[in-house]
Amino acid sequence: MMSIPLVPNLLRSHLAELALEDKRHDGRQRFEGRDVELEINCLPRAEGSARVRMGDTIVLAGVKFQIMTPYPDRPNEGGLMCSAEVRPVAGRNWEAGPPSAESIELGRVVDRGIRESGCINTEDLCIIPGEKAWQVILDVFAVSDDGNLFDAFGLAAIAALRSATVPAERFEVGEDMPLDVSKTPIMCSYHKVGGRFVYDADKREELGGDERIHITLGDDDHVHSLQKGLKGIFTAAEFADIMDEARSRCAELRDLVNEKLEGE
Amino acid sequence: MGGYGDVQCIDENGIRLDGRTKDEVRPVSIETGVVPVADGSARIRWGLNDCIAAVYGPMEAHPRKIQRQDRAVLDVRYNMAPFSTTDRIRPGFNRRSREISKVTAEALESVVLTELYPRSKIRVEIEIICAEAGTRCAGITAASVALAHAGIPMTDMVVSVASGKVHDIVVCDLNKEEDNYGEADLPMGILPNTGELVFLQMDGDLSPEQFQEAWDYNMEAAKVIHEEMVRALKGGDE
Repeated sequence: MMSIPLVPNLLRSHLAELALEDKRHDGRQRFEGRDVELEINCLPRAEGSARVRMGDTIVLAGVKFQIMTPYPDRPNEGGLMCSAEVRPVAGRNWEAGPPSAESIELGRVVDRGIRESGCINTEDLCIIPGEKAWQVILDVFAVSDDGNLFDAFGLAAIAALRSATVPAERFEVGEDMPLDVSKTPIMCSYHKVGGRFVYDADKREELGGDERIHITLGDDDHVHSLQKGLKGIFTAAEFADIMDEARSRCAELRDLVNEKLEGE
Repeated sequence: MGGYGDVQCIDENGIRLDGRTKDEVRPVSIETGVVPVADGSARIRWGLNDCIAAVYGPMEAHPRKIQRQDRAVLDVRYNMAPFSTTDRIRPGFNRRSREISKVTAEALESVVLTELYPRSKIRVEIEIICAEAGTRCAGITAASVALAHAGIPMTDMVVSVASGKVHDIVVCDLNKEEDNYGEADLPMGILPNTGELVFLQMDGDLSPEQFQEAWDYNMEAAKVIHEEMVRALKGGDE
């Protein structure tokens, strides 16, 4: 993404002034997120899908399946692939062309949280050992970027996976069945704005802020992925603080996912 | 065009697979403001098609070589999301999307008053979220609404629709099966206030009479779709 040097300097000082009074520019508390909308099975051509809206950030996630030949060293395993696309539709600063470093980072951080939680057992994806296995492809797609695409992508991704049906009938390899997803990893992101970390930064806070930290927690609060992005220095105490916050927020969002899936 | 096998797209009573008669348009609904960070946006749901268009600009045109001294350029991108079709689409531009982007830009440049914004560009992003035949038409139509929603001056909006032929019967607004197994496809971009055209493609096989019938179907369908475009813009999203 392009940087816009001048405006953020003004924005930075504005956000820093607000931070002195422990305020945010949209009136939220430090660790208050924007309202979250989650819709499941909203893409008719995908085998599993979700739409997430957090403020003016809107993303989609779709799950597709392909048949692959298992890798020779892992003949009993299928595969999982997660790719994130932030196309220029999502905001004026996102440009056309090959994926930018930012969008690759987004995809990889979301991928790690899901992969490392072990929520998908790749051995379950095997159809015929050494010959045929399922490749699960999870595509996350930004419709509108008003900040914190990471969390929106993470939430849409796990919700889409959990709603997915393996299309075995279409590929003539058995009967359709729900994809087995044993855990619900959830990502929470914190941005340093005006010298302290806030949860769920919007676009202005991203532009006028410093480093960000992404935490993915699985069921039972196990940590599955961490990522620090952008320039900035943080202390152990600051990290402990946001980790505490992440535990309760991840649990809330996990309940939201469970609730939506039960409603289906 | 030309299909495989013998899928029966129309029954003996003239009813199509989706329950329409041969002169009916699929249900169309349009909403605006679906990309809140954009200057203008629209979503069209047309049968199973689901398409989002966002407009950014007018803004400085860069790289400079694309600038025009006397007018704005339209930077149009048509793209299909990876999960928009039965088989996943690999991300990235391909020859098909490049061609559709080009003809879409040319259609829209015919109505946008580009001379009001010299040396600038207007970005039009068309994303197909779910595809069911006629995505280029859905894209052009959605882009027109998004441009109007962005307040870009235009002489008219473009309504695009494709009729065609299946089992030697001319049908209005092809669906997926008719597109796959049919014998002709005639997409048009129509200016509803004058009946003029800014976009025209065709492939397949049509007799002169069939061509006229498909043409007339498109003209009639455009009126129905135009009503929904106007409703979406006047009804507002807020």
